[in-house]
Amino acid sequence: MLKLFEHNTLSVDDISEESTAIDVRNLNLWFGNKHVLNDISMRIPRNKITALIGQSGCGKSTLISSFNRLNDLYDGCKYNGEIIIDGRDINSRKVNVSRLRAKVGMVFQRPNPFPMSIYENVCYGLKLQGVKVRRHLDDAVESALKKAALWKEVKDRLFESAQVLSGGQQQRLVIARALALKPDILLLDEPTSALDPLTTLFIEELMDELKKQCTIIIVTHNMQQAARVSDYTAFFHQGRLIEYADSDTLFTMPEKKQTEDYITGRYG
Amino acid sequence: MLNSPKTLLSPVQRQSLVISLTAFFTALLLIALFGVLLLISMRGAAYFWPEPVYLVSATQNNEAKTFYTNVYTDPASGEITLKYADALHPFGSQLRLKASAIHSQTLAAEAAEIKLNDGRRILASPRHIVTPASKQMALEGYASVASEVALISANIESINIENLAPIHEALAAFDNRNVEKKAPAREKLVAEFERYQKRVYALESRRDKYQLALQFADGQRLSIPLANVQSIDFVSKLSLWQKLKVFFIDIGVFLTDSPKQANTSGGVFPALFGTVLMVFLMTIIVTPFGVLAAIYLSEYAPNNGVTTVIRVSVSNMAGVPSIVYGVFGLGFFVYTVGGSIDELFFSDTLPAPTMGSPGVFWAALTMAILTLPVVIVATEEGLRRVPEGLKAGSYALGATKMETIVRTILPIASPGIMTGVILAIARAAGEVAPLMLVGAVKFAPTLPLDGEFPYLHLDRQFMHLGVLIYDGAFHSQTDGKSASMMFAACLLLLVVVFVLNILAVILRNRLRRRYLIG
Repeated sequence: MLKLFEHNTLSVDDISEESTAIDVRNLNLWFGNKHVLNDISMRIPRNKITALIGQSGCGKSTLISSFNRLNDLYDGCKYNGEIIIDGRDINSRKVNVSRLRAKVGMVFQRPNPFPMSIYENVCYGLKLQGVKVRRHLDDAVESALKKAALWKEVKDRLFESAQVLSGGQQQRLVIARALALKPDILLLDEPTSALDPLTTLFIEELMDELKKQCTIIIVTHNMQQAARVSDYTAFFHQGRLIEYADSDTLFTMPEKKQTEDYITGRYG
Repeated sequence: MLNSPKTLLSPVQRQSLVISLTAFFTALLLIALFGVLLLISMRGAAYFWPEPVYLVSATQNNEAKTFYTNVYTDPASGEITLKYADALHPFGSQLRLKASAIHSQTLAAEAAEIKLNDGRRILASPRHIVTPASKQMALEGYASVASEVALISANIESINIENLAPIHEALAAFDNRNVEKKAPAREKLVAEFERYQKRVYALESRRDKYQLALQFADGQRLSIPLANVQSIDFVSKLSLWQKLKVFFIDIGVFLTDSPKQANTSGGVFPALFGTVLMVFLMTIIVTPFGVLAAIYLSEYAPNNGVTTVIRVSVSNMAGVPSIVYGVFGLGFFVYTVGGSIDELFFSDTLPAPTMGSPGVFWAALTMAILTLPVVIVATEEGLRRVPEGLKAGSYALGATKMETIVRTILPIASPGIMTGVILAIARAAGEVAPLMLVGAVKFAPTLPLDGEFPYLHLDRQFMHLGVLIYDGAFHSQTDGKSASMMFAACLLLLVVVFVLNILAVILRNRLRRRYLIG
């Protein structure tokens, strides 16, 4: 198996409470009558990359959307169970959803820069937080773009429309937009599926760099990608968590037959 | 093999027949469109084009006559229409004759078209000028004499405004307070009033001594006060260049002057102003109203039957005949709302209505209701085009629903909103029927906007180009000149609608470039 990055990982069962970024406990979620997530429990470790794999419609995107309560936007979405982040259950009604979403950044499958300048795109979240001082905004934009490895390419045209950037640059801009808020957790929903292989590699390297600062959770359909970049991998099937282990173990010695079938491409 | 010997045409022929048929109707459409534009532009422009003056001798009722006249030949019937002036009809009359009744027709270089300040005109030969100093002054001195007369007129005007008007107001205030007729303060004012009035009379009689002597074709003479003369054009002598100059001066007068002679002459400025002001007010009212309603319907309203019913009703409202809105505006806005406002705030002037009578604000409000469905439908269309991914991106950065709407959805939907506003403007600028019920009149003595507090008088009635055209259409049988004023007003209305549309389209395209999603 192709190995680009070195991982030194513990077994999932040994993840301590202190090193847990997200603790999911008995999460159930329904869209209308459809039971999308069925009793999910897992601990996602801090400053690691965790990959979620599984067939389309198995609930993995829904699961990461629960981490920033983006599912609230859809009519008829109900859930119970707990998701503990920083010692607090974010499913509670008392949670300030705006603040939660600022701390849990999200990047989508298709690059979705706003039709504004590059600068405005990166500032968007900060301005919502009430940051108005120009100097602070300038600094935050520069550092976010540097973290997303985009600064060198765009520093001379910060005030041009973000629409003129290439697909890969747009995706990095969207990552920078999330990073500008200094998130603890970054959710990536198939971030490279609309990009070419070279750009994909570039983004993967970026992720490895970013995990020093935040916890990364990535949904992917690309088995090689999951194996390359992630420290832990969780396999889902029809709304259930089938198997969750460190990536080395899961991709080499899966315990369950279903997992093995999936990663060897026998179905899915 | 299936052959179709029964049909007359091969499939290829049938295809080309269908194409020709559809193309034929498209061509008809184009012809109709160009016909409208051409007719309106030609007849409208003809109103400003100086017509040459002829000396015509003709037989009418077995009497030989000579006139200075404009000549119009009707190519269909061969009859000739003369718009002439003579001693009996100095300000013009109209005559329709057979071509055989006309004996001679020559360009009259000595005759001029004399336009008067009250909008009438005289076709005659100017002979000389009479001034207080000289009995018979050559026409060459017209320019300097005219400026002398203008100076006197300005003098009279300034006394009227600066001296007489304040005294008049003060006297009216005395009347209101029931000050006695014999009170010394009042007598002093009355004396002063009379003193100024005498001065005005003296100036006026001096001004009346400046006269222009005219001669008609049959030798009869007429003398008119020079103060009444607006311009003298020797039309038959003018070169093309000079005619163009007269043409553009006439357009200038048309755009800046008020209507005269019961809307058959003069300019249309108050109507132009009223139309633009009404459309402007309507836009200010309808845009926020429509946009907010559309935001609710598309972003907040639950996706159920009630919302669907509301949507369908909104679309249907666009098809309601405009006169119905006019009646609604009169019954609800003017009588009910306006009447209640009067009772609450202007009860001291009742029974004379303040807001409870038709006025420009009620007209704008009625038009806003009329164009509301257009704006709502177009805005909803624009909102629906905002990609879900962008909304999700905004929420994911911690934006609330309102912040997402204000910062992301509205800017992206703004071209759609502008489309709605363009359609609304186009519709509102062209509507006449409802306006006649809620505030537009044939003649309004004052503009809704002036230098007097509160500057914008929303309760005033206003003039509208459409109403002017409607009014002009009734004069058309008797007087050709006013008929062409109707066409000129039509042309102007078209230009206004085009200009408003083009402005909005430019704005929309700029927004579109700015918020391009690609």
